Amino acid sequence: MSFIIDPYRFQFCSDADATAFILAAGITDTTQRQAICQLVKDLKTYGIWSKMKAIYPFCGSTATQHKYNLKDPRDLDAAFRLVFFGGGSHSSNGYLPNGVNSYADTKLNLSLVLTNYSNNLSYYSRTNNNPSIDFDMGVGTQLGNNSNSLFIKRSNDTAGYDTGNASSINRISFANSNSLGFYNGSITANNSRKYYKNGVNQISNTNVLTQLNPNANLFIGAYNEYDLVRANYYGSKQCAFASIGDGLTDTEAANLYTAVQAYQTTLGRQV
Amino acid sequence: MITLKDIASEDMPIYVGLLTEDQKNQLTGQLYTDDSYFNPIQDAEDNWVISTEEMQFCTNPDFLWVKDLPLILYNPKPSPPFPPEI
Repeated sequence: MSFIIDPYRFQFCSDADATAFILAAGITDTTQRQAICQLVKDLKTYGIWSKMKAIYPFCGSTATQHKYNLKDPRDLDAAFRLVFFGGGSHSSNGYLPNGVNSYADTKLNLSLVLTNYSNNLSYYSRTNNNPSIDFDMGVGTQLGNNSNSLFIKRSNDTAGYDTGNASSINRISFANSNSLGFYNGSITANNSRKYYKNGVNQISNTNVLTQLNPNANLFIGAYNEYDLVRANYYGSKQCAFASIGDGLTDTEAANLYTAVQAYQTTLGRQV
Repeated sequence: MITLKDIASEDMPIYVGLLTEDQKNQLTGQLYTDDSYFNPIQDAEDNWVISTEEMQFCTNPDFLWVKDLPLILYNPKPSPPFPPEI
């Protein structure tokens, strides 16, 4: 008697990157595995995968599962694996910072990893609220210089994106009455910045910028005031996806939304 | 003194656990559960505090005493003027 072993039986996905993440994060749920598999395939099909430095899909329901970077799922600072601080909570719907003292350190130093005037920051928000002043992800000085940051909705119903500019000068912002959805700030040149909601550009700016990327890590759920060595402006919007990478074109931003929304829909947590 | 046992779960976000300076120093840089570190902060009166989630979800046997910390209403330190609101 002989047995034929199906070589694909223990392979979760035909994509090696997706499989590596699934194994590292201990994702055992079939739907979650399929969602990760399709997300990676979609990002590669759209040509976005290679532009990303860190992708946090927040798949699973614990800090241990949420900490992994889809691009490099090693449990190392050098792989930009998240380190969680403070309260907040983790569930199958994502990471919910508490707006009091919680954030995640990406360990991704912008000046070492990204090119000046080419980056994108994205955040999928499952919460509609409007704190007085918060940042959903960011880094910069206490005065807002060298800021690379993104906020989605504050008490004045404004969303804003800073990169290569002082926060007090040339911030791009738009009126936002509902903070649910997928937000993506992108800079592709020192005179081209855009802020997208659900893949659609909301605001553009062509002013020439001069500030450089900060020599510090970007935080999710807070702003890294790196000159004061502290987190501040804690956010409180549930995050179901976040990414950091090179600047995206309009088409790429729209395709990123399509891929991320499909991922959320598969998981039943789309907004 | 109010502790975690005295409040309903829906009221937890408005409270924080009050720390002494020595307790703050003990918790800084320590895990309260897998892959999650304590983050003591100062409130508007410069009290050192941690969130009720850190107290509730603490599984580190060295710091289970945080579950019995006295609770106070959270009074956040006013944010500095920068980065400015647009």
